[in-house]
Amino acid sequence: MIFSKEKITTAYTIEQCPKCKMQRKRKFIEGDVLFAESEKCTSCDGITCIEKIFGEPIEQ
Amino acid sequence: MDFTNFDFDQLFGMGDDTNPLMMLIWILPIFLFVFYGQRIQLYVTSGEIKKEIGKLDSFRKESKEELINYVNKNLNPKVDSIKKIDQFLEYFTIMPVDMDPNGIVEKVRHTVRSREDYTREHVKSLSPEMSDVLLTKVQTLLEIASSLQMIHKIINHMFLTAKKQNNYPLILPLQMILPFIMEQAEAMKKAIPAFKTGQPVGDGIGPMVVGKMMLSNTKEEIAFQTVLAKTEFEDRTLFLLKADGPSSTVGRPADGLEKIVSENKIDAIIMIDAALKMEGENSASVARGFGAAIGGIGTERFQIEAIATSNDIPVFSIVVKQSVKEAITLMTKDISDKADDVRSQVYDMIRENTKQGQSIVIIGVGNTSGVPQ
Repeated sequence: MIFSKEKITTAYTIEQCPKCKMQRKRKFIEGDVLFAESEKCTSCDGITCIEKIFGEPIEQ
Repeated sequence: MDFTNFDFDQLFGMGDDTNPLMMLIWILPIFLFVFYGQRIQLYVTSGEIKKEIGKLDSFRKESKEELINYVNKNLNPKVDSIKKIDQFLEYFTIMPVDMDPNGIVEKVRHTVRSREDYTREHVKSLSPEMSDVLLTKVQTLLEIASSLQMIHKIINHMFLTAKKQNNYPLILPLQMILPFIMEQAEAMKKAIPAFKTGQPVGDGIGPMVVGKMMLSNTKEEIAFQTVLAKTEFEDRTLFLLKADGPSSTVGRPADGLEKIVSENKIDAIIMIDAALKMEGENSASVARGFGAAIGGIGTERFQIEAIATSNDIPVFSIVVKQSVKEAITLMTKDISDKADDVRSQVYDMIRENTKQGQSIVIIGVGNTSGVPQ
């Protein structure tokens, strides 16, 4: 394992507007839970909901 | 240098003009390995095992420190938290005698639930005003820390016994199981940040699928830490069941199912869960099957199978394959991307296996950390 690079997982939150289906990816903030209402949609007057929370590994 | 005229007799000391010193150099190792081979192997192997035990010890210490820091930061404990946590970590569970297997499941369930109830009450005593979500988080962190402590204790015991007896065969099984143990221990250690911050884990794919189906329906608590929502789908009644999120719990789906079946005529049960993938299988691949898809110690599965059998209800299941590490750490993108696909497969399964007017129970099995409904 001398040459294997250490991977760090970063948590992301995907918000989706139920009206215009626009998605936005941002870093996870403590307190985020799935299906919770998040913030105002930037492209319409809808309120975005948290659709997914997942981790993506980044090689160091 | 001329490589074409090697004198092998001279090289191995077998010629007429044999050098006694050369003979000794070749013969000595043979005797050494015949009489002390196992002991040499024991030293080499024990060096490798010692390194792994060192890692297990650091996992144990780190998980305990993380737990103490989390409790002190979030709970403002009224009692000496370090002393209390030390007591919890040393708690053990004696499983019931299985010489007579009659009624063993009830006995195991009673023992495990008693332990859970005891832990919950005593964690709550650290700070009586803590919320249920926080309580389940601390309980999960405590389970991780005590599991890592137990793993370290057992492996260290096996290693020291083999070394004390200078017994090489005794160290062989340890050498064989250690990579699997290390995989599990590393997964447990890496699970701590996800549970601390209330993120969904890979095992939460079942609750994630059912949780979304429950949105905008009225929810009721049907069993301890377990919620039910009733909805309609193409002239069929759906009973949606999952653990009460976003707490870090698996709930008691079998108790919930028992209550639903006692009050309604159920025609099918569909269970959605995470399943351990085999080596070579793709992570996040979805598979359908028959039978109760639920892990754990086996008591929940036994109860669900008993209910299904006595009421003649077919049990279908959909599983999302993943590794041990993926199941208990932050959900990967591949797994979370499968949620919509699994949901559409659930609806396909309902259409294929039930008729209009029938009732179906859909159970999202798994830890519901970060997954409300």
